[in-house]
Formats: sequence, C-alpha cells, structure tokens
Amino acid sequence: MTVQGPRVARPPDVRAAASPAASGAPVLDVRNLSVSFATPAGPVTPVRDISFTVAPGQRVGLVGESGSGKSLTALALMRLIHPPGRVTGQVFLGGTDLARLDGRELAKVRGGQVAMVYQDPMSALNPVQTIGHQIVEAIQIHADLGARDARDRAASLLADVGLQDPLRRMRSYPHEFSGGMRQRVMIAMAMSANPALLIADEPTTALDVTTQALVLDTLSRLVAERGTAVILITHDLGVAAGFCDDIQVMYAGRIVERAPASRLFRAPVHPYAEALLQSICDLDADITTELPVIPGQPPLPSALPSGCAFHPRCLYALDVCRTTEPAPFAVGTGGAMAECHRTDERIAGVVIAPVVGPGVR
Amino acid sequence: MAGTRDLEVAGPGAVALPGVMRRLLRRRAAAIVLVLLGLLILSAIAAPLLTSYSPTALAPRDRFLPPSPAHPFGTDELGRDLLTRVLFGGRIALGIGAASTVIAMLVGTAWGFIAAMRQGWTDEILMRLADATMAIPTILFALVLVAAFGASTVNLAIIIGLLLAPVTARLARSAALDELKSEYVLAAVASGATRTRILLSEVLPNTLPSLLVLATLNAASAILTEASLSFVGLGVQPPEASWGTLLFQGYQKLYQTIWYAIFPGVVIFMTIWLLNLLADQLQSVLDPRERESSRA
Amino acid sequence: MLALTSLLIFVTLRVIPGNPVITRYGATRGVDPKALEELMRQLGLDKPIPIQYLDWIGGVIKGDFGVSYFSQFSVTTLIGQRLGPTVELAAIALALALLISIPAGIIAGVRPNSLIDRALSAFATVGLAIPPFVLAIILVVIFAVGLKLLPAQGYVDFSENPGKNLTLVLLPSVTLAIVAAAPIVRFLRASILETIQSPYIRTAEGKGLLWRQVVLRHALPNALVPTVTVVGLIVGYMLGGVVVIEYVFGWQGLGALAVDAVLKRDYAVLQSVVLLVAAAFILVNLLVDLLYGVIDPRLRVGGQGT
Repeated sequence: MTVQGPRVARPPDVRAAASPAASGAPVLDVRNLSVSFATPAGPVTPVRDISFTVAPGQRVGLVGESGSGKSLTALALMRLIHPPGRVTGQVFLGGTDLARLDGRELAKVRGGQVAMVYQDPMSALNPVQTIGHQIVEAIQIHADLGARDARDRAASLLADVGLQDPLRRMRSYPHEFSGGMRQRVMIAMAMSANPALLIADEPTTALDVTTQALVLDTLSRLVAERGTAVILITHDLGVAAGFCDDIQVMYAGRIVERAPASRLFRAPVHPYAEALLQSICDLDADITTELPVIPGQPPLPSALPSGCAFHPRCLYALDVCRTTEPAPFAVGTGGAMAECHRTDERIAGVVIAPVVGPGVR
Repeated sequence: MAGTRDLEVAGPGAVALPGVMRRLLRRRAAAIVLVLLGLLILSAIAAPLLTSYSPTALAPRDRFLPPSPAHPFGTDELGRDLLTRVLFGGRIALGIGAASTVIAMLVGTAWGFIAAMRQGWTDEILMRLADATMAIPTILFALVLVAAFGASTVNLAIIIGLLLAPVTARLARSAALDELKSEYVLAAVASGATRTRILLSEVLPNTLPSLLVLATLNAASAILTEASLSFVGLGVQPPEASWGTLLFQGYQKLYQTIWYAIFPGVVIFMTIWLLNLLADQLQSVLDPRERESSRA
Repeated sequence: MLALTSLLIFVTLRVIPGNPVITRYGATRGVDPKALEELMRQLGLDKPIPIQYLDWIGGVIKGDFGVSYFSQFSVTTLIGQRLGPTVELAAIALALALLISIPAGIIAGVRPNSLIDRALSAFATVGLAIPPFVLAIILVVIFAVGLKLLPAQGYVDFSENPGKNLTLVLLPSVTLAIVAAAPIVRFLRASILETIQSPYIRTAEGKGLLWRQVVLRHALPNALVPTVTVVGLIVGYMLGGVVVIEYVFGWQGLGALAVDAVLKRDYAVLQSVVLLVAAAFILVNLLVDLLYGVIDPRLRVGGQGT
C-alpha cells in the first residue's frame, strides 16, 4: 500500500541542527479541551476532552473525516468559538492559559503568537478591501510601524510567498487573484507577525493538485525559515504524509491515534487509522477489485455510540469496546498513542482475525 | 432506501398555497395577527350591528365630548358618535383598500407575467412603462389623477389600484422569471405545452405564495394612499367619510379636541401595521430555510 | 426614461374633462365668451395638444416652466420660491434619519435578539407602518397642543429669521426622519447580521482585532454596500411623504404647492412640479447606481484574475 500525495520538497531539517528537544517547553499544551453547543435537543459535544502538545517547530497533522471535530478544535484553540458554543479545558500557549485571557489580551495573542490560515481563501478575505490594505492591517496590529514601513514589510512578505511585483499586486482586490495566490496571501498575512504557532485549516482543499503542491511548498519553506510550529488540518492523507512530522487522527471528537508520520503510514495501530489507509484507492490495483470502504457512517455528535465511538464500524470490536471508552494506550516511548482496547495485541504484531459479530453492521 | 424520493423533481404545487397556509397558522404570531385583522374586517362589515348610533345622527349639543362610556371615542363637531363614524369609515376605507388591491393584483400580475413570458421587445416596453410610472411618487401621481378624474369612491379604487400595478408587475415578473428557470417548466416545454398552459398551470400556482405576500403589502399601501388622499381633502369627500377623511376633519379641530384626530389615526396605523406583520409572517414561512427546519 | 415620464404626466392631465380656465372664473355662466377665448389663447390652451406638449417640454429644457393658470407668476418663479424650503426640509430629514438609523442598525445587528435589538426593531416596525401624517399628528398633539413647546404650523424663510425657521422645521423634519429611518434600520440590521456570518469576519478576528474594530472596519463597510440601494428607495418615500407633511405643517414647499395646484386645477404648475419631482427621483437612483459601482470593487469593470 502506497500513499501518493503531492511531493513536497522539504528543506533540510533545521530544527534537528538547532537546540535539542529539551530546550522546548512546548509551544502549545492543550489539556482536556472540549467544545460543546447547546441545542434544543440537549448539549452536543463535537470535541470531547482532547489533550496534546506541540513542540517548537514541530509539524503536527490533524487528520479526520468531515465532522470529526478537527476544524472546531482549531477554532477553539484560537478562541474563535462564540456562544452558543462553549469551550472548556486549558490551552497553554507559551505558558499562558488562553482561557484566562480577556478580550484585549486575546486580541494581542491572535495573529501575534498564534495565527490561522483558513480553508476558502476567497471568502476568508474581505472582498471590498485591497489585499494590501488587509496585510498592512495585520502588520500594524502587532507591530508599531508607520504606513510606509508597513507597506514595505507587506511587499517583502508577499515576495516571500512568491508573488511577483508585490507593490502593484497590493492594490488589487481578492477577486482579481487566483485561488493559489489568495491562499499564499493568507499565509503571508498569517506569518506577518512571526507567530510561534501556525494553524492551517484545510489550506489546500479548495485548490487543484498542482497549486496544492505550490502552496504547501511555500508554507513549508516559510515555517522552516522561521521555526514556526504548525498544526495542519486536513482530510487528505497524502497532504499530511508529505508535510507533517507527527499525525493525530481524529474520530468523533477524540484523538484516536497519535504517531510519527513515517510509522503511522507503515503500521497504524488504531483500527480506524488502519481502515482509512486501506480505503485509499490503490492506483496499481486491478480495476475489477472493489473499492475498499469503511462500512457505516461517522456518528453524529448528538448520537454517539456507547463505549468506543468507532465500535459499530470496527472489524475487531469486542464486548468491552461496546461498554467502555478506551483510554489512551501508549505505543512505544515517543509519545505515540492509540485509544483502542486492543492496542497491546496490535503492537505485539499479533494478527487479529476480524470479529464477525455484533460489532459489524 | 430514503434516497429515491429526493430524486423526484419538485412538481407544480410543490410550494402550494394550502401548505403555506397551514404552516402559517401554526405560528402563534401569525395566528394573532390574522385574528386581529379578521376582527377589524368583521367590525367594518357588521358596523350597523355594533353601534346604536347612526353615523349621521346630529346632536349639536354634544359636540367635542371626550371619550366616555356612552361615546368610547368621543364625539365630533356635530355631536356624532366617533366610534360609529370610525366603524362606518372602516367600510369605506377597507372597501377601497380591498378593491384597489384586487385591481392592482389583477392588472399587475397580468402585466408582469406577459412581460416575463414574451420577453424581448414587449418585455422592454412594458417594463419601461412601469419604471416611468414608478418614478413619480405614488401620492403625487394620485393627486394628479384625482385632479383629472374626480374623487368618487369608485374612481379612488381604480386610481389606487392602477398606481400599485407597476410595482406589482415588476415583482410578478421576477417571480415568474424565477419559476421559468425551474426544471419542471423545462419538462413542460419539452412535452409540448403551450405558453399559456405553462403560465397557468406551472408558473401561477408556484408564484401564488409570493403573490400573496405582495397582495398583503399592496393592501397596506392602498389603505395608506387612500388615507393620505382623504387627509388632504382629495379623497373620500364628506358627507361620506373614510378614516382619512375623519382624520382630515379631526386635524382641523385639533385645538378643540385631540380625540377626533387620534382615534382614526390610530386605527389607520393599526391596520397598516397588522398587514405589514402579516406580510412578514408570510415571508418567513416562504423562506426556504424555514421549510427545512422543524415547525413551531 | 425622463421623456416617457413627462409624456405620461402630460397625457394624464390633458385627458381630463373640465376646462381649467373655467375653474378660474368659477362658473361658465356669466362669462364673456370672448374673454374666455382670449384667456385660453394667452395660456396656449387653444393650440392642439401635441403642440402644447412640445411647447411645454421645449420650455422646460430652457428652464421655463410656463405660466401658472392662476396666479400671475410664472411657474418658474413659483417653483423657485418653493424649492428652497422643500430642499431644506428633505436635507435635514435625511441627515437626521441617517444619524439615527445607522448606529441603531449596527447595534441591533451586532446583538440580535437582545433587549435593545427587540426595542429597536419594534421601533422600526412601527416607523414603517405608521403613515407620516398620523405620526405628524401625534407629534403635533404632544409637542404643540399638549406641551406647547413647538409651533404646529407655519413657515418663515431662513434668511428672514433663522431661529424661527429652525423651530418650525423641527417637527416636520423629525416626522420625515423617523419614517425614513425605519426601513434603513431594518435593512442595515439584516445586512450586518448576514455580514457577520461571513468567513472574512473570522479572519479579521483571527488577526487580532478587537471585536469593536472588526465590526466597524470589516462588517460595517460591507453591510453598507447593499444598504445604499435602500437609501435610494427612501428618497422616493420622502418625496411622497414630503407632500403631505408640508401640507400638515403649513411648510411652504413644493409639496404644498402641488396640493394647492390640484385643488385649483392649476395644471401648468402641477405638471411641472410633478415632473421635477420625478426627475429628482430618477437622478437620485442614477447616483445610487453609480455609487454602487464605486464602493463595491467587484462590480468595477476590469481585472478578473487567472
């Protein structure tokens, strides 16, 4: 099984040459983050008590299907979730718990220490303002620069992301640009204050494959140059494979597996991760073979199964999976984990026969 | 599987009138508005039954009495009971309002539909004509027409109806154009239906809900225009009196008694307000987002 | 467009039964037929109708609106006298309306369903439904008859007595302002509500702007764009409302002139006034269309990116 994705050129690993991991207090330390919404039918919790850390310069991928809660996680980190949504848990950015900050302080953090790149660059940019205006605004919020200096800075940022003739481009409006250019503009805007953490929410989903590669390249180069940590959110495994150091797989609001990218694609532990990888269409296979699918549908946050949320679709489900939610089981020593009752068996390499029983629909 | 039903192309009457009415009645706000309007209309129709006074009964000794149990709205300069006059005034005001709305809807819808169906030159000319008429503020044009043709009740209804027709035409035309883009119209054309048939059996039923909203708003405008005309003395002439005429007379006697002007004014306001609210309710019932979400 | 409108007005007035000259004399009997003929010739009413129309239009283009059937003054003079007051009233009313409605619309849109939103929306609904003259009467009852604070009727030229002029214009302009503000509040509220849902608002917040800045710098400009069309409509309402309001308050403007002209069957005056008003309306809408192109860059001709 191969994972084909846009080939992203990775500059030499700057971080490894820099100070060892011990120098990094984590850039981001998330503890027990939950996002819930009050609905007429009762509270719904699309993100359930997740915890993870991101080290300086690390690239973490957050992978999952639509509805797994990954975008909401990103918004929750930036505290961009407004009532009726509620966010609980702690989010330590560089040591400060964002949950304890008021509006003014949060405004300083947003864009400054943590920035976000959004999914659809056309609608994410203000259509009646020039992009120059928008970037300059981003710059001036976090840096005390006059109009001229800010403009120059903006121009150099645009050049950094590969836009030709930046000064002239700055006078254009978003609708005059192509999708790839708009996305690069957003990246420039996000990186303008040199944030320690960049969250990229499906940055390439709205783009065609060639442009995808270009944008990811740009992103990769920029964050490597500045040592920015990245959380890349995507449903495209190929993109994640090419870009990230570590991958977190989300399902039904929880992180069900965390592993270094290289190992995950070779030997996934959690059955969902395994099923995802198997469902990738193998271009070399015989055309008559059926496309592998995961039977069933991801559960709605309002109607979660008992015990392990994946158990109705899991080939290996046991009784305990139906009754008890699995806790994170460590895999190896590097912080990798999987939330599956049968983790030990899978690590040990025991070949588990699929269970045909009440677990499978 | 649940999927197949979604594949059916929405046919005529998909957003049909009965469904809309049912949804409307389930909303509490809409029901209240309808009840109040109903009472208003009923009181106008049943005016003679609701009051013991005659609208023309003179009692000069009782001029300008303030509201009291005997005269809930007070009396006017000739001692006539105001409540009675307002009730009877309602007959005229609502009568003219209804008649002109009907005229506006009939003329306007035909106007707009023909423009939509024919397109090309006919469309251009018809719409230019509509725009030219709409460039003149309604009241002014009404004044001009009243100057020309006189202010009898029938004339007023016709004039107001015709004045509201261009706006109706424009809106009817865009509603029709929207429908004409739908798939079932294409299907009808493909199966050889004539233009008239398409108009009557496909376009009309599906535009009825929007037309209903339009009619409600037109009714409000009609009542407003008639009241405005009567208020400047160019509408319903004494001894007949619509609410506007009463307001006119009341305004002249404002320093003697404020009630003469206040009650008709409030009644006019309430009627227009209720009609606006009704139009709002109808509008939100028609909103596609409403359709998908659950009721109540 | 304008031509068509003028034609419409003219034709309507000429289809009328009743000879205006006769009204001037009060009755047909006892009038010397010769004098009648003479007058008709003077007023140009003896020429065939199409010629009358062309005469009129020709005059209009040159700025000459003809002669009033009644007073000795030329229509141009009359209009000149009355134009100022109407413009004053309309301008003050529009300014007041915008002053009230824009902040109100923003506040209501930013806090939907809050107490203040409900209050503002209720006000807007009332303002939309209430006929201008009913509102006028209520205000007169409260301020003139009741509190005796302001005069109910009258007009004094600004150049004669600025103070008196302003007290007299207060009630009428407030009335018009309230009526004009209502639809703007409604529309702006909805526009802001919708704009706030847009993704670029989240981007703006994500950049580190305070919420107040997000609303004022990103939501408001975008919400105002479609609101401009509403303002065009408002002017239409106002032009209609001005007529009755001027009559109610005895404000000697074009509206009062029009009503007078109708009562006296003074078609010369009437047709020109109505034409003028229609022209103003068309002009304003044209300006609005142009303005739209200026403020929304997406509508400007040119540059579609690759």
